Amino acid sequence: MAAASRRAVLGGSLALLAGCGRGRKAGGGGGEAPRDDLGRLVRLEREPQRIVSLMPANTETLYALGAGPRLVGRDDFSDHPPEARALPSVGGLETINVERVLALTPDLVVCSEFGAQAVALERAGLTVWAGSAQSYDEVFAVTSALGRLVGRAAEAEAVGAALKREVGRVEGALGGRPPVRVYYEIDATPYTVGPRSFVGTLIAKAGGRNVVPEGLGDFPKIAPELVVSADPEVMVGLSLGEARARPGWGAIAAVRAGRVRQLTPEERTVITRPGPRLGEGLRILAEIVHPGALG
Amino acid sequence: MAGALLALAVLLAVGLGTLRVPPAVTLAAIGKGLTGKAASLGALERIVWEVRLPRVVAGALVGASLGASGAATQGLFRNPLADPYLLGVASGAALGATAAGLVLGHGGGAEFGAGAFGPAFAFAGGLGAVLLTLAVARAGPRATNDSLVLAGVVVSSILTAATAYLVLRDGERLRAVVSWTLGNLALAGWAEARGLLPYALAGVATLFAQGRALDALQLGDDTAYTLGVRVRPTRLAVIAGASLATGAAIAHVGSVGFVGLIAPHVMRRLGAASHRPLIVASALGGGALLVLADLGARTLARPSELPVGVIMTLVGGPFFLWLLRRGRP
Repeated sequence: MAAASRRAVLGGSLALLAGCGRGRKAGGGGGEAPRDDLGRLVRLEREPQRIVSLMPANTETLYALGAGPRLVGRDDFSDHPPEARALPSVGGLETINVERVLALTPDLVVCSEFGAQAVALERAGLTVWAGSAQSYDEVFAVTSALGRLVGRAAEAEAVGAALKREVGRVEGALGGRPPVRVYYEIDATPYTVGPRSFVGTLIAKAGGRNVVPEGLGDFPKIAPELVVSADPEVMVGLSLGEARARPGWGAIAAVRAGRVRQLTPEERTVITRPGPRLGEGLRILAEIVHPGALG
Repeated sequence: MAGALLALAVLLAVGLGTLRVPPAVTLAAIGKGLTGKAASLGALERIVWEVRLPRVVAGALVGASLGASGAATQGLFRNPLADPYLLGVASGAALGATAAGLVLGHGGGAEFGAGAFGPAFAFAGGLGAVLLTLAVARAGPRATNDSLVLAGVVVSSILTAATAYLVLRDGERLRAVVSWTLGNLALAGWAEARGLLPYALAGVATLFAQGRALDALQLGDDTAYTLGVRVRPTRLAVIAGASLATGAAIAHVGSVGFVGLIAPHVMRRLGAASHRPLIVASALGGGALLVLADLGARTLARPSELPVGVIMTLVGGPFFLWLLRRGRP
């Protein structure tokens, strides 16, 4: 959950960043201007032709919208679709090389609202849209905003509608099945996901009932006692061996039934990245929570 | 006194937690566990015996290791701020733990818990850093306290920079590594407690054995020498004992700060003047301190947990400042 962990670590700088973000001067034409997550209206003189995308989920969305051929740069973590890897990378979240971005002469940079990159890029004279989806609903909002930004509003509506149909098909296939108690682990601290987080929403749609109570936030560090007493029937994100070795976890229903499922890095990326592959992530989770239900 | 404090801390910590467990159930669970009837434990009893109690025991052992090591290191360097971290053991362990994540990969045993390789890497990293510090400081006849401290600080800085670089390259693990550097007893079980016990015992015993020599060292290296103290072997024994105990502690639960600094100062205030009683009292007091801090970490935001290092420093920091304002003991 790269975006999530960054949010936790860098969240403190958000207020600062929001304070520094200057509103852009209104330009002529360019159609409807989407507001970014720093609250700024980003108006473009004309449809962007040289785009640098610095968020993996946004990179995927831009490709899904058919704007892939107009991308000229990416960040280190933008690894999908495969053709994205051929683009020159300009660094990671905190290590964006502004000179390299400038050398690509972009007319639009799509970046994260967290950290200092939006301000740094804007100071360098670039047109910046800073935003990312952090929840299930925001995926559709960001897709729509990016669509308007790059002149692909109709495609954005189509991508959003197709995603909703895909989710609807999974929910339909699971219809009527009693929810299964699920524990999802981000890492062995143990950090987990709250019901309102992006992954938490996918778990619910996959027919699972998160054992983590609401109100602890999206990414709580959970008391192991609580996991033992909540007795999840399925555990995701750690291996069976790891779970068995933990104090008192051997008695948990999921461990006794062997229903503990480690994720491959690729699966983890798909499940945790709030972008156009959320239907794919949902199917992976549904197959783990209700094996065979999708046919 | 310190023993009573530790006993009280352990009682409180086993009785309280995320879930409300009636005292009778807690006692029954400990009774069954101690008499080898762990197989017949009920659900709540199992939480007491398998989740809560080993965590408390591990916390006490870690606190004892850090407290005793702090007391001995402060005596050795005649510096009230000294602790084993000064020699690079924490930064070396952090680098080892981070490297484990890179070498073994996600879910490849790089995580921390029973049977994982992470602790082995961290332990090796911690001891490696101390050996490097000793080598750089020319721990020969001409090694001085100042050269050791300087070498330790520089080695620490270099290793910390390397760790920071590796961590930032791997954003996925950022949260896990940061949590670990704040200390994390969440998944400490009987396996961890058993793993810590020999190091804590051997470490405290080694340091205790140097107690008289440390007393003499307070008069200066030369005076201690004329009193028959062999300065260099004493120094190496203290460094070895403190590094082994601290390294094992960090390897299992991350680099908990402050215990080694505070526990000895509190115990000096309470009257432990010479090093033998001071080292024992600091072990007991350090154990109590960490057990209480972890109790706070488990219960203040339940059922979520706070980093134990944050609790320790938020409570310990102001306390330490208050001690400073009251003047030197």
